[in-house]
Amino acid sequence: MTGTAAIEAAALGKRFGRRGGWALRDCAFRLPAGRVCAVVGPNGAGKSTLLTLAAGLLAPTEGAISVLGTVPGAARERVAYVAQDKPLYPQLSVAETLRMGADLNTDRWDASVAQRIVDDGDLNPKSRIRTLSGGQCTRVALALALAKRPELLLLDEPMADLDPLARHEMMGLLMAQAAESGTTIVMSSHVVAELEDSCDHLLLIGGGRVRLAGEIDELLAAHVHVSAPAHAVLAPHTVVESRTTGRQLSALVRPSSTLDTDWRTSTPSLEELVLSYLRNPEAGAAPAAKTEETAV
Amino acid sequence: MTALATPPVTGRPAGSSPHLLHWLLRLHRPALLAWTVFVLVLGGLLLWVGGPLTEGAVEGWKQYHACETGGCAYDPSAVGRHKDWYMYTTFAVIGVPVLIAAWSGATLTSRELEHGTAQLAWTQSVSPARWLAAKLAVPAVLVAVGSGLLVGLHHWAWSTGQGRLDSAKSWYDVGTYAANGPATAAMALAALVIGALFGLLKRNSLGSLVGSLCGTGLLWSVMAIATPHLWPTVTKFSSLKNDVPQGSGIIVDQGLVTSTGAHVADPHCGGSGFASCQARYTKLDAVGYYNDYHPQSHYWPLQLTATAIILAVTALLALAAFRLLRRQTGPSAPARKAAAV
Repeated sequence: MTGTAAIEAAALGKRFGRRGGWALRDCAFRLPAGRVCAVVGPNGAGKSTLLTLAAGLLAPTEGAISVLGTVPGAARERVAYVAQDKPLYPQLSVAETLRMGADLNTDRWDASVAQRIVDDGDLNPKSRIRTLSGGQCTRVALALALAKRPELLLLDEPMADLDPLARHEMMGLLMAQAAESGTTIVMSSHVVAELEDSCDHLLLIGGGRVRLAGEIDELLAAHVHVSAPAHAVLAPHTVVESRTTGRQLSALVRPSSTLDTDWRTSTPSLEELVLSYLRNPEAGAAPAAKTEETAV
Repeated sequence: MTALATPPVTGRPAGSSPHLLHWLLRLHRPALLAWTVFVLVLGGLLLWVGGPLTEGAVEGWKQYHACETGGCAYDPSAVGRHKDWYMYTTFAVIGVPVLIAAWSGATLTSRELEHGTAQLAWTQSVSPARWLAAKLAVPAVLVAVGSGLLVGLHHWAWSTGQGRLDSAKSWYDVGTYAANGPATAAMALAALVIGALFGLLKRNSLGSLVGSLCGTGLLWSVMAIATPHLWPTVTKFSSLKNDVPQGSGIIVDQGLVTSTGAHVADPHCGGSGFASCQARYTKLDAVGYYNDYHPQSHYWPLQLTATAIILAVTALLALAAFRLLRRQTGPSAPARKAAAV
């Protein structure tokens, strides 16, 4: 976990309007380069704001964010970003949009990548963007982003508009990109299952704050799902969530020492972990701090 | 997926500038076409007004004057046609800043920010500042050339009737003064920048359109009110025998002057030839009229001073737009550590 971080945030906060609420506050995390990171959280958690800040489209209200070792504004050529609503110029054709990408980007542009992504979707290059479906727009937007051959790829809900087949294909394309070029990919979603297989890093955002951050394997290993008698004392261990049904206690804990051998334990799934944290806003985010220490 | 195996890289050498101009013209093609057609049509109309229509009206007035003595029939339609079309074209030229304000406010920056396509451009290796610079510079050139051409043609069309048409507008007629001079072309540039600034502020087309029109209207009104005071006036004293103070042009102040040299209000009675008026003037101790006004020789000083002020305001607004955009999107280079402490 050494080398330049893909994204590093310190006390990052963003407020919209002088009297508006904070979309993001006190965010501190470090995403090492080369990871495929899932940014997970409920609607309105601040995921999009975080990605917009990283893309250099918004300035933070407080704190700092650095991308590929510099300010986001200085890393534009090396960062690609696909916004949630996949904005494109409606009056341009597909071919024109790709030519624009080639013209507006520097020498990094790879026309063949863009062409292949568009061809795979059976898109007519002469079609106007305004005539395309949401999924087709996503394809063109991803083509623009990937042909740029970015070092960091920021995707805000990238798969929402795609059918399952296209979703699978796009995910494959992204993973190939990550594997071959070492591209760091950050993608947000509120559907955890969508990201579980492909991501190796997690950033859980809730209520404008980072609730959990770290390698998914480490996070899962650090938590245990426990079934114990209702009177069991979970005390020294950090309890993320616990529920009692009848004589049975079911809990997600972060063990601080060896667990009682009488308890039945299992490794939680990523979705269980995420949901437990989201249901319990007061549960601490110690693993994030731990990951950060080892990272620095 | 084997799709990504060692693709050939196409593109330009590092550091070469993106082809923003080409894409800007492509994206705003309808507006570019509309502006070109507008300038060509209005320019053609002005040529028509200054050429054939003026000649026809001159002929019409000749017939009228010939009939004055002899008493014959004459055709007033040519004079009327010139008058009408002169008025229409004058309004159209004065309307240019309003047109630009509406377009700039509704589309130039606001629509792109609203739809996210500005952000798309900013993630295609085009920094927000470069984007805004191109967005302002290209239309500014087109607006300056187009509106400059139109006020120039209007000035010419107006001047061809001077001294030949009894119905010709004088230089200080409000519409003629505005449509004849570079201040209106400068106002069109100001409108462009005001629209872009409101686009950045509001980030939606409708709000920005309203703001742009109001902002342009405000600046124009202030300039219209201030214009007579931008250059020292000439004061002309005239005899009370005249019905009104003498001296024509843009009048700033006029009234009566007393034997002590004090200025008092003009009761608008008429010449001192009327006994009742003479009595009032005697009562007021008035010895003559005074008139603070701008004669025709002040036309260019007034126009150029106003133009300079509008351009200075435009420059400040453009600077404000860049600073606002920078504040919204953050710096494009790492902050230098305070080296010069």
